[in-house]
Amino acid sequence: MEHLEHLAKQQWLIPALPLLAAAIQSLLPRSQRKLSAGLCLFAMGAACVIAVRAFLATLGHHGEGHEEVRAVANFTWFEYGTTTLAMGFILDPLTAGMAAMVTFVGFFIFLNATGYMHDDENFARFFCFLSLFAAAMLGLVVSNNLLMLFMCWELVGLCSYLLIGFWFHKPSAAAACKKAFITTRIGDVGFFLGILMLYWKTGTLNLYDGGNGALEQAGGLATVAGWWGLSAATTIAVLLFIGAMGKSAQFPLHVWLPDAMEGPTPVSALIHAATMVAAGVFMVGRMFALFAAGGTPEHPTFAMDMVLWVGCFTALFSASIAVAQFDIKRVLAYSTCSQLGLMMMSLGAGGYSAGQFHLLTHAFFKALLFLGSGCVIIGTHHEQDMRKMGGLKKYMPITFWCYLAGMLALSGVPPFAGFFSKDEVLLETFHRSKIAWGMATFAAFLTAFYMTRQMYMVFAGKWRGGDHGHGKTAGHGHGHGHHEPHEVPWNMWVPIAVLSVFAVFLGFAGTPLIGGNLFHHYLAPGEHADTEGAGLVMGISVAIGALGIFLGYLVYGRKPMQHADEPDPLAKMGGLFTALNRKWYVDEFYEATIIRLTMATGTFFRMFDKLVVDGILHGIVALTRAISQVFRWIGDELLINGGFDAGCEGVRASGGLLSKFQSGRVQNYFAFLGVGTILLLAAYFFISIQ
Amino acid sequence: MTIPLGHYLILAGVIFSIGLAGALTRKNAIIVLIAIELMFNAAILNLIAFWHYKQYAALTGQMFAVFAIGIAAAESAIGLALVIAIYRQSKTVDVDEIRSLKG
Amino acid sequence: MDYAFWIISGITVLGALLAVTLRNLVHCVLSLILFFLGIAAHYFLLRADFVGAVQILIYIGAVAVLILFAIMLTRNVTGADGPREVIGVKWWAGSVIAALTAFLLSFAVSGDKLAGTISPGDKAYVGVADIGRGFVGDWVVPFEVMAVLLTAALIGAVVIALEEIRHRR
Repeated sequence: MEHLEHLAKQQWLIPALPLLAAAIQSLLPRSQRKLSAGLCLFAMGAACVIAVRAFLATLGHHGEGHEEVRAVANFTWFEYGTTTLAMGFILDPLTAGMAAMVTFVGFFIFLNATGYMHDDENFARFFCFLSLFAAAMLGLVVSNNLLMLFMCWELVGLCSYLLIGFWFHKPSAAAACKKAFITTRIGDVGFFLGILMLYWKTGTLNLYDGGNGALEQAGGLATVAGWWGLSAATTIAVLLFIGAMGKSAQFPLHVWLPDAMEGPTPVSALIHAATMVAAGVFMVGRMFALFAAGGTPEHPTFAMDMVLWVGCFTALFSASIAVAQFDIKRVLAYSTCSQLGLMMMSLGAGGYSAGQFHLLTHAFFKALLFLGSGCVIIGTHHEQDMRKMGGLKKYMPITFWCYLAGMLALSGVPPFAGFFSKDEVLLETFHRSKIAWGMATFAAFLTAFYMTRQMYMVFAGKWRGGDHGHGKTAGHGHGHGHHEPHEVPWNMWVPIAVLSVFAVFLGFAGTPLIGGNLFHHYLAPGEHADTEGAGLVMGISVAIGALGIFLGYLVYGRKPMQHADEPDPLAKMGGLFTALNRKWYVDEFYEATIIRLTMATGTFFRMFDKLVVDGILHGIVALTRAISQVFRWIGDELLINGGFDAGCEGVRASGGLLSKFQSGRVQNYFAFLGVGTILLLAAYFFISIQ
Repeated sequence: MTIPLGHYLILAGVIFSIGLAGALTRKNAIIVLIAIELMFNAAILNLIAFWHYKQYAALTGQMFAVFAIGIAAAESAIGLALVIAIYRQSKTVDVDEIRSLKG
Repeated sequence: MDYAFWIISGITVLGALLAVTLRNLVHCVLSLILFFLGIAAHYFLLRADFVGAVQILIYIGAVAVLILFAIMLTRNVTGADGPREVIGVKWWAGSVIAALTAFLLSFAVSGDKLAGTISPGDKAYVGVADIGRGFVGDWVVPFEVMAVLLTAALIGAVVIALEEIRHRR
């Protein structure tokens, strides 16, 4: 454990390195493209080495019985009178695994971004933002303090805003970044209230502090009354979860994530697949003790139920939308929403390690899929509409095989990574609620279906990009003089190749098949694993995945699309397809309700201001006027004016004399003041010396 | 701390004089306002220094300083509003050209 | 602690000098912020934590930003200070007055009465809580007057800056 303590003291280095890189990058001139990207990659690589070292150290400790492996390094941030604000860094399996994942996946995403952003004139600025983002995300992961976590959380939100709006000259990107910022901010209000309440109830925001930390008091909090008839622990958990809902794009705060696809694709991979949206799940996992406090497996707390059902609903809801999208990145975006819902659901069902395991595997294969889609977009000269792709297997073989690995992992085909983690999630849910399990399984079916649909639309059939106007690709920097798709350069395909290796094999870390779930023992040695019904759940999920892929083949594979303007085979369903394509009209609903309500309230208050407030003011003015009229007649005209006129003549004569000094220059007056002061001071000293 | 009170007072005096010089010599009204802020700060620094060395246990010094800062904030808000208003009217912030006070 | 005093003083004086001598207005404000930070550091050094925090919040957070806004509203954003100012009569007069003031002021504070004063050591510490109680206790009247003053200043500033629009109507 001493070794761990030592390493925990070095955890700050992990976010500090990218932060330093970002600081240097922000000062670099725009022309220093290679230096900027190099700094970014170097800092991330170094952070990765430190994170992996810490990860290996925690790995070495697992199996020492049921004791939790954890080392913290707390310090005093500042003292204010008698109040002390502490901060701290933590090293435990959750942090170590997450930090290693973020740095590792992040490094390869950065490498891919050097290719994707190759032609952008603001290349250096982009990498500066990326470094800052990585620093914030890693700070969030390694912090042992909820306030520090919140600060990094907000920084992450800021970076997301900057990166989504990176091409801010596009109106859609500018709107999307504002939408993302404001929507997540709504959730953050809840998060902040939760933090305040936690501080109020426990007097500390350090999570672990040798028995005095906020999480270590969770048991006590469960017996104190909070709001709405819930216990304090549950109230805080619910408030925190509202923040997580915003960040992890859970219904009804999910609307920002698909729009966030306006950013460059590596950003989508980094923020909207691997790391930032995972922050919400990570935070719920980090505060899990608070969510679970006061509940039993039979009677879980309200917070757990809320997490379960919000996650479950989001999983099914977003998966259904993904079926009917045509933008290659939007399909993945809704798929991300759906998978995050699965993770939340697992946490809500009490499957702490299952949820976190799915978070890790999902980060790898979803980053892979996003980067793959980025390669496709570059390869087809900035085409995002799947209807205008097709036949890319021939032109982009490496991308195809990597994408296939990611797709199989996401669809839950054994033995790819997604299968094991999703299976565990489903198993945990199965024990908790059969209805939720059914919904999640249906979501898994839809996932397999829409991923198959995407594969066929993008890679099978013939190239349909030529059907439409050539003007779109003409004059583009990549052009080799023809409009056919081409394979991407090495710095774009190497990352997805590496990630696809993990997408294939990472699942074995958490499989029940060999040696009884290593990941589970690593993350939560004390947690009881219930394997009852495992065979049934696994069998059904394999069957349902296969069914989804088969149906996808039936609908899209047998007769590939010939022309880009052909309707989708599913469009025969009519209204349902349109509803799905329009995302169940959630945006329209918000437009019609919340936004209109705000406008109406504004109008109402303006009218109130005009009629009532102004009316009172006008009344007062009229009254004052009337009174002053009276005084003018009696006092002013008769008494004062007469006497005053006489005095005026005298003043005017002397004033004419003095006005010679009035040059009108303020500084002259000021200089007179200065000279006067000097004379006074001199006189004073002259007298006092006497 | 072994720094004597006099050091702080001299420091404040130096800052005050820098502010005075700026206020007397610069043409731009905004810089003149900046210089006045410097003089204000020198005065408040004096207050705090005297509080620290003479009235350490009492609240008065700090209170006075806080009120002075508040007044300075009000002053700068009004001053800058005036500068903006003058600029709107005469399209200049050069104090040499603003002479409507001339008698 | 002594080193701290000298270093912070150096920064403060440097910031003050640059703030009134630089030609680019934005640079002037940046130096002014440096100066404000130096003063705040002095307050912390003198253990007036609250005043230091107030200094940072009000001066850097409000006044400096206000000045920046004034610069942006009165000239182009880069804020170059027009043609180089001539070193004329005004310059000499101003410098002489300032130098004389500096001389007399340092003469005043280097008298016998203040020369030997050193730190009081650790007497009772005035914390934020004491100041807070002061605001609602003995100092409640000045505090309220202050509030009225600030409100009046706010309204006044808006009225003055809006005057042009009213004329145009």
